[in-house]
Amino acid sequence: MNFFEVIRVVAWKDLLCEVRSRETISSMFFFALIVILVFSFSFSMDQQAAHELIAGILWVAFAFTGIIGLGKSFSAELQNDCLEYLQICPAPKGAIYLGKVAANLLFIVTAEVILFPMFVIFFNLDVVEDLPLLLLIFFLATLGLSTVGTLFSAMTVHIRAREVMLPILLLPLAVPVMIAAVEATRGALNGNPLALYRHWIDLLVVFDVVFTVVSFWLVDLILDS
Amino acid sequence: MSGLYVRWGVVAIVAVLLGLLAYGHYARNVATLTPEEVLAQRPHGVVRVTGLVRGGTLKGNLAAGRVRFTLAGQRQTLPVQYQGPRQENLRELKTLVVVGRWDRAARIFRAHDIASVSNYGFVLGAYLVSLVPLAFFLFAMERKAGLLYKEIKDSKLYEPEWSDDVVAR
Amino acid sequence: MLNAIIRKLQLYKGWIGAAGGLCLGVGLYFGLVASPPDYYQGEVVRIMYVHVPLAHTSLLGYTVLFLGSCWYLWTRDPVVDNLCHAAAGLSTFFTAVALITGSIWAKPTWNTWWTWDARLVSFAVLFLILVGYLMLRTFIDDPEREARYAAVLAIVGFVDLPIVHFSVEWWRTLHQPLSISMRGVSISREILTPLVLMGIGFSLLFAYMLIVRTQLLYLSSLLRAKKGRLLSQVHLAKVQP
Repeated sequence: MNFFEVIRVVAWKDLLCEVRSRETISSMFFFALIVILVFSFSFSMDQQAAHELIAGILWVAFAFTGIIGLGKSFSAELQNDCLEYLQICPAPKGAIYLGKVAANLLFIVTAEVILFPMFVIFFNLDVVEDLPLLLLIFFLATLGLSTVGTLFSAMTVHIRAREVMLPILLLPLAVPVMIAAVEATRGALNGNPLALYRHWIDLLVVFDVVFTVVSFWLVDLILDS
Repeated sequence: MSGLYVRWGVVAIVAVLLGLLAYGHYARNVATLTPEEVLAQRPHGVVRVTGLVRGGTLKGNLAAGRVRFTLAGQRQTLPVQYQGPRQENLRELKTLVVVGRWDRAARIFRAHDIASVSNYGFVLGAYLVSLVPLAFFLFAMERKAGLLYKEIKDSKLYEPEWSDDVVAR
Repeated sequence: MLNAIIRKLQLYKGWIGAAGGLCLGVGLYFGLVASPPDYYQGEVVRIMYVHVPLAHTSLLGYTVLFLGSCWYLWTRDPVVDNLCHAAAGLSTFFTAVALITGSIWAKPTWNTWWTWDARLVSFAVLFLILVGYLMLRTFIDDPEREARYAAVLAIVGFVDLPIVHFSVEWWRTLHQPLSISMRGVSISREILTPLVLMGIGFSLLFAYMLIVRTQLLYLSSLLRAKKGRLLSQVHLAKVQP
């Protein structure tokens, strides 16, 4: 099996498990709905304030939702010793890692795409013109969260305090992703000219490239038995 | 181990002595009273008073260095007569420290020096926060090293493991 | 060869510690007594003589952590792993104290305890990364896995910290609710002397504490292993007929 086949097979396996059980997407979706509810109580927002805050609220919700999805990606492997089989199988560990990243990316972006109209409805936003750009921003930022998040998920799956260690390790390192995502989303939602927030999208691209490469090198040490 | 406690005991004593020295310096040269305290205590000798120069009360010949003003505290005010070298930061609506004596007979504060308000509290806080935990950290580390050394000696870490009757079996 | 250098160096740890203490003492004298107060900030500038060296030492510790993690992954030497653990603990301490003294300095000069400035936020993120590192080490039981995972976390964190700094700096130039000028302290020789002395003092002290803590960790793991073997032998001796 060559490299790209391994990636495809691992991603396909995760996708198949998810389609059959639907547990990850549904838990992410309902968690995000609850976050929307809590935010709507926390800030009494008029139209003006909602416009200011919506990008931040969006990405807080997406970040915590993504953490749930990332945590599940490796903890689901604990049943039936699947994790040990992944560790000893002769496929290149980097390919397994990239397959997991692809699957996580797919799940979280799907959740975001389903949730964004909910945000528009609940917070009464205007219709957005530049949807493809917004989708690009979602994709890039989620990729940033997924690369580092999958690495840390593989790390924390063996630990006692599994669910709490992943956010503690991930969120400080994902600060650039959060800042860039919020600023870029705010620019896109307000309809600002692209040149104003172009550098945030560049930052997201740089973060993705750097951390995909770094995590790809380091994952051999994590997925070792 | 006792050497460790002696060492750090000496450090603690030196620190306390330095602290007392610093406190003495502070009490003599830095600590200030408020106008209310001066009016209530009517101190003898040279004291320092902090207050706000009340607007509209600065009168006199600033160039010659002889002025009168009212120094305002939270609730009461203090009449001040300053006689001394020309001071640049003697202005109205400015918080100052005046150094001088309380004249009981004339019920006026005769000042011979003006200083600006110092905020030593922050400096002291910052140095304490950084140096005291550092000292504790070092002390705890060296103490742990001493205890560990003693435990290693007690457990005979570097002596042969097997006892004779197990080998003979 | 690097091992030989380190083994040689640790013989002089007492001297290093004493030199550090001496530098600190002289630096404190210069900083508190012999240097003049700043024109704008007054006496409060003396906090700089503690805050800036602490910040530099914590970054030095973080660099030591990163290099030590790379070295561990290269040689898999358990003593190097103990070095990394010690460096992380010390860096956490220095970062925390740097943040607190920075906040104490900010209050009289900028009239606020905290501000979302690039350096302050980077330091807060550094503190969180280090705390996460220590938590990871505490929660993993298997020592070899703990060493590997901790090394990976240190490398990822080190690569990320410059990116965090730049992103927060861009973000701050975008929103500027408070126009705070950076700490403009005119650098003259009277100010530079205590600063450099305290910096050298804290770094030497860091080296001393690093050596002592590494030895502590190494010896206690040795003791634990020995006790474990002794206990198992005693148990076997009792079980045999």
